[in-house]
Amino acid sequence: MTDTPPTLQVKPARRAWYQRISAIWLIPIIAILGSLAVAYQSYSSRGPLIAITFSDGAGIAKRETELRYRDVTVGVVEDVKFTPDLSGVQAMVRVDTSVAPYIDSSATFWIVQPELTAQGVTGLDTVLSGVYIEGTWDNDPSDLVYAFDGLEDAPLFRSDEGGLEIVLRTPPGGSMTDNSPITFRGIEVGRIGKARISPDGNFALAEALIYEPHDRLISSATRFWDTAGFTFSVGPNGAEIDFSSVATLLGGGVTFDTFVSGGDPINDGAVFEVHPGETEARNSLFTESEVETLQVRVIFEQNISGLAVDAPVEINGLNIGKVQSVLGTIDREEFGDSRVRLNVLLAIQPARLGLPGEVTPQAAQDFLARRIEGGLRAQLANASLLTGGLKIILRQVDDAKPGEMRVAENGLPIIPTVDAELADAAASIEGVLNRVNELPVEELLESAILFLNNATALVGNEDLQQTPADIRALVGDISGVVSSDEAQTLLVTLNSAVGQFEQLLVDVETARLAARLGDALDTTSAAAAAVADVTGGVPALIDQITAVAQKAEALPLEALTQELTDVAAATASLLESDGAQSLPGVLGGALGEVEATLRDLRNGGSVENLNAALASAREAADAVAASTQGVPALIERIEAVAAKALDLPLEDLSVELTDLAAATATLLESEAAQNLPGDLGGALGEVEATLRDLRAGGTVDNLNATLGSARDAAGAIEEAANDLPTLVARMRAVLDQAGRTIAGYDQGATLSRDVESTLRDIQNAANALESLARTIERNPSALIRGR
Amino acid sequence: MVCMELSGQNADIKSAKDLGLVTCRRCSRVWPIETEVCARCGHAVQSRDITSLQRVWAFWVLGFMCYIPANMFPMLQTRTLLQVQEDTIIGGAVELFHYGSPGVAAIILIASVVIPVAKFMAIAFLAISVTRPSKVSPHQRTVLYEVVEYIGRWSMIDIFVVAIMASLVQLNTLAAINPGSASLFFALSVIFTMLSAQAFDSRMIWDVQAEATDHHAGETET
Repeated sequence: MTDTPPTLQVKPARRAWYQRISAIWLIPIIAILGSLAVAYQSYSSRGPLIAITFSDGAGIAKRETELRYRDVTVGVVEDVKFTPDLSGVQAMVRVDTSVAPYIDSSATFWIVQPELTAQGVTGLDTVLSGVYIEGTWDNDPSDLVYAFDGLEDAPLFRSDEGGLEIVLRTPPGGSMTDNSPITFRGIEVGRIGKARISPDGNFALAEALIYEPHDRLISSATRFWDTAGFTFSVGPNGAEIDFSSVATLLGGGVTFDTFVSGGDPINDGAVFEVHPGETEARNSLFTESEVETLQVRVIFEQNISGLAVDAPVEINGLNIGKVQSVLGTIDREEFGDSRVRLNVLLAIQPARLGLPGEVTPQAAQDFLARRIEGGLRAQLANASLLTGGLKIILRQVDDAKPGEMRVAENGLPIIPTVDAELADAAASIEGVLNRVNELPVEELLESAILFLNNATALVGNEDLQQTPADIRALVGDISGVVSSDEAQTLLVTLNSAVGQFEQLLVDVETARLAARLGDALDTTSAAAAAVADVTGGVPALIDQITAVAQKAEALPLEALTQELTDVAAATASLLESDGAQSLPGVLGGALGEVEATLRDLRNGGSVENLNAALASAREAADAVAASTQGVPALIERIEAVAAKALDLPLEDLSVELTDLAAATATLLESEAAQNLPGDLGGALGEVEATLRDLRAGGTVDNLNATLGSARDAAGAIEEAANDLPTLVARMRAVLDQAGRTIAGYDQGATLSRDVESTLRDIQNAANALESLARTIERNPSALIRGR
Repeated sequence: MVCMELSGQNADIKSAKDLGLVTCRRCSRVWPIETEVCARCGHAVQSRDITSLQRVWAFWVLGFMCYIPANMFPMLQTRTLLQVQEDTIIGGAVELFHYGSPGVAAIILIASVVIPVAKFMAIAFLAISVTRPSKVSPHQRTVLYEVVEYIGRWSMIDIFVVAIMASLVQLNTLAAINPGSASLFFALSVIFTMLSAQAFDSRMIWDVQAEATDHHAGETET
């Protein structure tokens, strides 16, 4: 075990090739496979490359400019290059596979770029994003086409949009604005595409599209008219300017309307005429047949001026159409020379020919062809002698050269012609002129000169010149006759006659007037006299009233008061006397009677009652006067009583009487007593007022009488007052005695109460009187009506 | 490490393999050459990584594959109000140069084109040089390897710039910068080249040198 085994040269076993390969290679392999897969997928999914040729690049950029369909990107421009002949720009567009099958011959492409037109701004988004190519194609997949010609502008019809395609045609000589909207009631319902000129140069034709929901508005009865520009009219309603919208004002436009119902639905490609205005469009319903016109051509050998567009075409005097265009034509091959011939295009309304059966241009053409074989020829004729205008008539020419309706190369039938019979008119005019020319103007002038010479000689004759002087003399004579005295006297006489007649009239009038005036004056003076009579009583009345007032003023009221005091004192001694005690009652009764009377008067109700009442009042006043006349007797009786009382020992009584007098004085100083004169004055005032009121009633006399009675009463009172000093003296004596003799007499209080009540009664009476007076014053008519 | 003990191009240098030793590349413990698992750290011990070159080439290919789209596709998508601009790396540099910024253009070109391309070339050169005799000394090649490995991470600076700009310039509709698809491929390319560089077993440089020396010795003997 000492030998160590020899060290073996162990070589590691050579591993298999797959063992030596690291697993790390999987990663690049996977990466390569992945990228290859991606590359294959992107290659297989990429669409075809189509070439679109445009006239210019318009901003197309490689790998930036997109191809869009319905505004969705479906491709991108991969390359932009020139066409081999440098006539255009070819954009190579890689199209998405999703739309590639649809890009067939129906596809159209155009470049969308910002555009500013009268109708608005389009493609504004391309300002920022750059232009893009828009494409449109139908919905049916078909064989792929790889080369296209791009359109200059967006097409009117897009394969992916519906709508009615029609053709609009201008009237002969009319104009049209293309690329303009078709509006209906102000709404854009369609568009007019690019206009082109018709092959014969007579019209402008433009394709138009009516958008889908609006195409049902169009029928065969629809009329189109131009709304471009504005119309200006001055009429009875003032000036009017009319345009449909600013857009159509600037960019033109066409609108339409179906004025009558019953139109047939139309198909794509129908041709409509664009009338200049709504009025023309409306009128066209009646002037134009509902079917298309038959267009025929007429070539006249003559070249006569005066034929204009719209000149009528007549057959047997019936207007069947109009001249649509007038052109000159030179056709050496056809006519053999290079003379200019008149080439007229006629538009014949088939409906006006009265064709039986179907009314179509073809039927009209057949009809005309048959008639032409029978000798129908076109001829120029005078439409108006005044203007020299021409028209075309189709007339039967019996001895016409045989002819037929030829259909020319451009498809228009040609009607043979005969020479115009215009010479007749020209000849007649010439004949007229010739006759005018042949008029003997010179002889006429000679005669006229001769006549004028004779006239000069006549005028120059002396006899003739003398005539004015004779006339003047004649006038002088007439003047003398007129200025003679007799003639003038005649005038004066006439004048005086007229004056007398006038006087007569005046007299007649004055007589009647004077009588009337006299009557009136008489009546007036009588009235005045009556007035004077009435007024005459017034001063007396015033005098009487004044007297009454003076008397009332003269009444020594104060003295009377004092004496009444004494009377009262004296009266006290007479208290036992029934007469004295009943006096106040009598007075109260009298006053009550007055009051009643006045009340009756108030309730009376007529002027007679009033008079009666005044009479009663007078009687009452008389009675009062009578009663006052009884006062002296009373006084005498009082005197007697006093004399009797003198004998009585009445020392004690004096003290009581003094008190009584004081009480009486107090009583008299009371307001009622002091108001008495005022009340009396007021009563008088009221009476005065009453009298004034009653003056008209004819009761003045009664009043005077009443016042007289009042004066009597006043006089009686005055008389009584005159007796009063004596009474006073005697009363004083009585009182002196009574003062001495009467003592302890204890009935003063009773007396004073009686006096007081008496005075109160008087005051009541006065108040009643015052109230009566106030009532009368307030309502004088109550006195008359008694209420 | 053996290579750390360089002291000139001495033919007498003995490698660990020559001495029958192997080192653990994780914990640097030296074991006899038969050892397969490091008893200290448990890491597999191998004298020479025979799949190293395969991994180098695999990652190299991946990196190169990614580098192609990184240059073809736009690196940066600059969207302003009016337009969207997409720039590839080279296109952007050329544009910058036209706009009068040759310095910046040069930096971009160097960082994004010259260095990656140089890296590819360096790695390929190293990988090739270990399989056949090379005139470049192992010392220089080791330096080259060190440089490649060091500089590899800096290639990511492009991606950082793109990432920073994309996150900073986001002004909604006004302007925005978004990373283009090339940035992803560029990042992948950098990653794969770094992996490729890492996969290279630098010890092989010296093996080749040793073989060459032996061969040379044999020649001289005969």
